[in-house]
Parts: sequence; C-alpha cells; structure tokens
Amino acid sequence: MTRFTMQEVGWEPRIPPVEAESATPEQLAALEACPPAQRRSTYFLTLAQDPASLGERGALFNSVMYAPRGLPRAERELATAVVSIVNGCVYCTSVHARRFAELSKEVEVMERLLEAGLETELSPRRRAIVDFAAKLTREPEAVGAADLTPLREAGLDDLDLLDLIHSIAMFANANRLMQSLGRSVMP
Amino acid sequence: MALKAFATPGPLGDGWLEWDYGMAEDDLVERLLGIEPGSPLAALRLQREAIRQHAQGAWRELVLTQVPGGVSSRERAAIALAVARQQGNAALLAECEALAAQVGAPPEGARTEVLLRYAAMVAEAPERCGQADIDALVAAGMSSQDIVAVTQLVAFIPFQVTLLAGLRAMQEEARA
Repeated sequence: MTRFTMQEVGWEPRIPPVEAESATPEQLAALEACPPAQRRSTYFLTLAQDPASLGERGALFNSVMYAPRGLPRAERELATAVVSIVNGCVYCTSVHARRFAELSKEVEVMERLLEAGLETELSPRRRAIVDFAAKLTREPEAVGAADLTPLREAGLDDLDLLDLIHSIAMFANANRLMQSLGRSVMP
Repeated sequence: MALKAFATPGPLGDGWLEWDYGMAEDDLVERLLGIEPGSPLAALRLQREAIRQHAQGAWRELVLTQVPGGVSSRERAAIALAVARQQGNAALLAECEALAAQVGAPPEGARTEVLLRYAAMVAEAPERCGQADIDALVAAGMSSQDIVAVTQLVAFIPFQVTLLAGLRAMQEEARA
C-alpha cells in the first residue's frame, strides 16, 4: 500500500473560499476562464480570492490540459499524475489518475503506478512519458536533448512534446497551490 | 528591454512598473531562451498561442502588476527572486535579480521574514505546509486575497523553470 489512490480524495482549504452568491464581478469573470466543470469547486473558489491571478492561470491551465490535437489527453493526464506522485500531492494524483483511467481504459496500468511505483513495467511509450515527467520534475536543470530520445522513438512529434512539457510544468504549479492553500482529506 | 521602472511612488509608496506599450509585449520565455522569431521552435509555440499568451499574462499579473494590492511590487520581486534562486535556473534568476534591483527591496522586518519563509516552504517542500504557516501570514496582516496572490506567485516560478528546461532540451535537440 502507498498513500496514493484513485478513489475520490477531498480537499479542505486553509483560507475561506469565495461564496458564489457574494462574489465580485472580477471574481466571477476570473472563474469563467476556468474549466466549466470546476468553476464551483472549493479549490477554484479559493483561488478566486485573487481574481487577477486566477484569470490568467485558469486560462493557462485550460489550454494546457484541453487544447485540441497534439498529445492525447490521456497522456497529458498520465504525465500530470506522475508529477503529482513525485511532488507528493495525494489530491492531484487521485484526480488525474482517475482521468487517465477513464480516458485510456487502462485502469490496471494506473493502479500499478500508484501501488508499485513509477518503476512498474509499462509499454515503451508509457515508460518514456513517465520517465521524462519524473526527471523534468525532480531535476529540471539536468534535462537535455538525450532525455527526448525515448519520446521520439515512441513516436512523439514536436507538438506532442510541447504539450507534454506544458502538462509537466503546469503541475509543478498546481501541486504547490493545492498543498499549501489546503490539505488532502482521505476517503 | 521593454520593462521600465519609475521613481514615482505608487499607492503604497512603493516602486511601480510600467510596460512600454509602444512595443509588442515581452515574451519572457522567448527572451530568456533566445528563441529567434521565425525559428521552428517559435513557430511551434504559435500552435499553442493561448498557452504562450497566458503564461506571459500570469507572469505579468503576479510579478509585474501595476495593481499590486496588499502585496507590494517590492515584496513580489523579493519573493520571485528568492524562489528563482532556490529553483536554480540561471537565466530566470538573472531576470529576477534585475527586477529586484529595479524596484528595490521590501522593508526588513517580521512581515518580510514571514513572507520569505512561506515562499521557501511552498517552493521546496509544499507537502510540509500546514495551517500554522497560513496563520502566520494572517498574523502578519495578510488578507485571503494576499495569501492567494503570494501562493500563486511562488507556485508560478517552478512552472517557468520546468517550461524553460523542457524547451531548452528541444533547442539542444534541434541543434544536434
């Protein structure tokens, strides 16, 4: 057993979230830029306390995770789950592990990543994505062209690779927001 | 550089920043990596134009904002500098050093100490953050909006560092 799970983990903020009924026009406009399904979540309502930063960051997150074409969404979710594991964010891991499993139908692969760890046996393409996500998170300054070779051999083109880098970078950010402004609540 | 600092005091008696809108908005990532306009990497980034724009927009809102609210421009520059130093990207560190030199240091004292201690924890060991760390910010006079702004600022620097490192690897690959 590890502390990571695909079950629904809760998130409890350490500062009061904005109340939807009493939100200012600036706060509502910033929430509009966020993924529709998440606008009323406690997390986004907490970030809405500072509408200027939520507006830009929400739009950034939306494009990184949902922009059409390029790296398949399931693989963006795989990368963000791996980054969340490396950074120890139990909440983010649970959300993005579930999204990967839903999109890829490879529930068993994600279960092994969560239970056995990142070294578990994977297809070459999954292996390349997991290794790159972990290294770019752990030691970004040590990453070089050689680290891209396994991804190229697995068939990633330039846009796929750019999408992968964006997804990994986004969770260097998301994991820190989530772990400092609140805490994961286990099911 | 399009960034200019003015000696005129802002609403909080702090240094403030203004963009020279006569020029196209700066693209920090492009400038720090020396990505040539019209190069294959520049063209690739245009395929994700919204990401390029909002990454720059987040930097502008968090670090260069002209409406700093409860977290002054000097405090923002000092936090960005401290986190850039911890994260170890030389180009971003140099950028933050130049910015901090332009706007000036925040006043020494308990509030700045609490802010920088919080920034270090969120950057290095976010897992270890607890309610007490947030309560220390509240005790130093920070509102919920200020706390979110500071946390967004700290957490955005690792985004930049990761993005710069990934794109730098793509540049190296293209040169090989």
